[in-house]
Amino acid sequence: MKCRSVEWLMIFLVLTLAGSMLVACDRQQAEIPAVAEMRTMKDDLGRDVRLPEKVTRAVSLAPSITEMVFAAGAGDRLVGVTSYCDHPAAAKNIQKIGDTQSPNIEAIIAVRPEVILVSTASQLEAFASALEGQSAAVFVLDIRGLGDVADRLRRLGQIFSSGERAELAAIEFENRIAAVKRRPRAKRPARVLLQISEADLFTIGRDSFITELIERAGGMSVTADIPGGYPKLSKETALALDPEVIILSDSPDNLNPNDALRNSAAVRSGRVYRVNADILSRPGPRLADALEQLAALLRQEPTGN
Amino acid sequence: MKRANYIFLLLIAGLAAALAAAMLLGSERVSVFEMTEQGRAILFDIRIPRVLLGACVGASLALAGASLQALLRNPLAEPYLLGVSNGAALGTLIAFVLLGDVAGARPVLAFAGAGIATFAVYQMARSKAGMNVERLVLSGVIITTFLSSIIVLLTSLLDAARLRGYTFWLLGDLSQATYNGFYLTLAAAAAGTIVLSSQARALNLMMIGERDAFDHGVEVGRVRIIIFGAASVLVGTSVAASGSVGYVGLIVPHIVRLVVGSDNRLVVPMSAIAGAIFVVLADTVARTAIAPRELPVGAITALIGAPLFIFLLRRN
Repeated sequence: MKCRSVEWLMIFLVLTLAGSMLVACDRQQAEIPAVAEMRTMKDDLGRDVRLPEKVTRAVSLAPSITEMVFAAGAGDRLVGVTSYCDHPAAAKNIQKIGDTQSPNIEAIIAVRPEVILVSTASQLEAFASALEGQSAAVFVLDIRGLGDVADRLRRLGQIFSSGERAELAAIEFENRIAAVKRRPRAKRPARVLLQISEADLFTIGRDSFITELIERAGGMSVTADIPGGYPKLSKETALALDPEVIILSDSPDNLNPNDALRNSAAVRSGRVYRVNADILSRPGPRLADALEQLAALLRQEPTGN
Repeated sequence: MKRANYIFLLLIAGLAAALAAAMLLGSERVSVFEMTEQGRAILFDIRIPRVLLGACVGASLALAGASLQALLRNPLAEPYLLGVSNGAALGTLIAFVLLGDVAGARPVLAFAGAGIATFAVYQMARSKAGMNVERLVLSGVIITTFLSSIIVLLTSLLDAARLRGYTFWLLGDLSQATYNGFYLTLAAAAAGTIVLSSQARALNLMMIGERDAFDHGVEVGRVRIIIFGAASVLVGTSVAASGSVGYVGLIVPHIVRLVVGSDNRLVVPMSAIAGAIFVVLADTVARTAIAPRELPVGAITALIGAPLFIFLLRRN
C-alpha cells in the first residue's frame, strides 16, 4: 500500500512537471508572433542578440562606437553617449550617461534605449545582470583595428536600417586605406617609437592596433614584439632601441620625447611628430585620418640639424 | 658589541654587493669592459641614478619605521600603515595639480603632508591614559583610508592620461629617478641616520616607558618632536621621489631586531643599511622580471613584505 502511494506520487510529479513544461513551451511559441518585428543578430562575442526590426533609440558606451554610429548614418538614433564622446560635434549634444569605465546604469535606463552598444566583454559583464528585466538589448562591437572598421560600419547599417549610408562610409574608408597602400614609400620602413606619455613612457605593444597602423603607413613599430597592448617601457630599452621617428600621441602630459630619447636618431634628425591622440586611439572611422597622417609623416625626409 | 661590528660589516658588504648587482642587471645588457657610448648613457644616465635613489628611499623608509616603532612602542608603526606615506603622497599630488613643475614644490608639500598626517594620527591616538596600541593602529587606519579617498577623488578629477602615470607612482615607482632626486634623498637619509642615531639612547629608555625615561633625564617631548620631524622629512622626500613604497619601514626593522635585539643604537643605523639593500634588490626585480616592460617597485616590496610579515607575526 505504501509502495503504491509513492508510485502515485511519482506519477503525479512527473505529470505536473511535463505539464508545466508544455505550458512553458506553449507560452514561448505564443510570444513569437506577438513580437514579430523583432529579429536576431550575432554580435562580436557570437551571442544571438534580439533587436527590434527598426532601432530608434540606442546608447553608445565608447567614443569609437559613437563615431562609428554617426559614420554609419545613424547618429540621430543615439539617445545616450559617454562623457568622452566628443566627435562629431553633434555627439556633444547627446545625453551623457557617465564615462566608459563607469557608465551610470540608472541614467541609461532613463533614456529608454532599445539597444546598448558596448565595446568590450568587460563592459558587457557589468551590464548583463544590472539590465536583467529591462527591455534593452546589449550588443557587443569589438573593433580590433583597421581591418574591422568597414565591416562593422556595414553591421551598424543593418542594425539601424541605414544600409546605404553605411555602405558608402565603408567603401570610402576602404578606398582611403587602399590609396595609402598604393602610394610610393621609402625602401626601408622607418623605425618608429610611439610615445603615449612622457614621464612614464607608456607605449604600444604587440596587441595594439596602432602597431598595425604604423606598418600600413610604411613604418615599423620598434616595440612591436613587446607583449601586451600598452606596456610601460623601460627607459634603458627605449634608449637602446634608438628610434628614427618618434610619434607623440598629443596630450598635456606628452609634449616631448622622454629624457632617455634625447640623443636618439629621431631627436637628432628632428623627426619627432605629434598626432591627435583621439584619431590614433579610437578604433573607428577616423583611423583613416590617422593612417593618412602617419603615412605623410613617415614619407618626410629627415630635416637634419 | 663585537658581534654587532661583525653584523655591520656584513650589512655594508651586502649593500655593496646589492648595488653592484643592480648596476649590472637591467632590461638591456651593458658590458662594463667594452663600454659603448650607448652603454655609458644607459648605465650613467638611467640605471645608476635609479639604483642610488632606490638605496636612499629604502634607507629613509626603514629609518622612519624603526624610530616610529621605538617611539610609539608599537611594532605596527610604519609610515605606510600610519598614513604618513599617504599624507606625503597627497602633498605631492597637490603640488602636481596646483603648482605643476615648480622645482622643489613636491618634496616640500610631501613633507608637509607627512608631518600633518603624523601629527593627526598622534593626536587621535593620544588619550589621558597615554597612548595605547589599539588606538594608534585604528587612528592610522582611519587617516590612511581618509587620505586614500581624497587621493582617489583627486586622481579621478585629473584626466585619463595623467591618471595612468599616477597609478604606477602611487604604488611606488623608481623609474623617474634623476640625480637631483637622488641628492635630495641622500641628504635626507644621511641627516636622518645621524639625527635618529643620536636619539637612540633616549629611544631605548622610552621603550621602557615615558615616565621612566623622564626620570632618567630624557626630555620626552623634545625627543618626540625630533622623531616625528625626522620621520616626516624622510618619508616626504622618499614619496616625492618615488611614491609610496610599502612595507619597507615595517619589515626591515623587524628583521634587524630579530638578529640584533632591540637596542636602538644598533637597530636604527642597521635598519637604514638593510632598508637600502631591500629596495635596491626589489627594484632590480621590478626592472628585469618582465623586461623590457616594468613593474612598480612597490608591488614587489608588498609581494615580499606581506607574507614575510605574516610569517614573523606567527613566529613571535
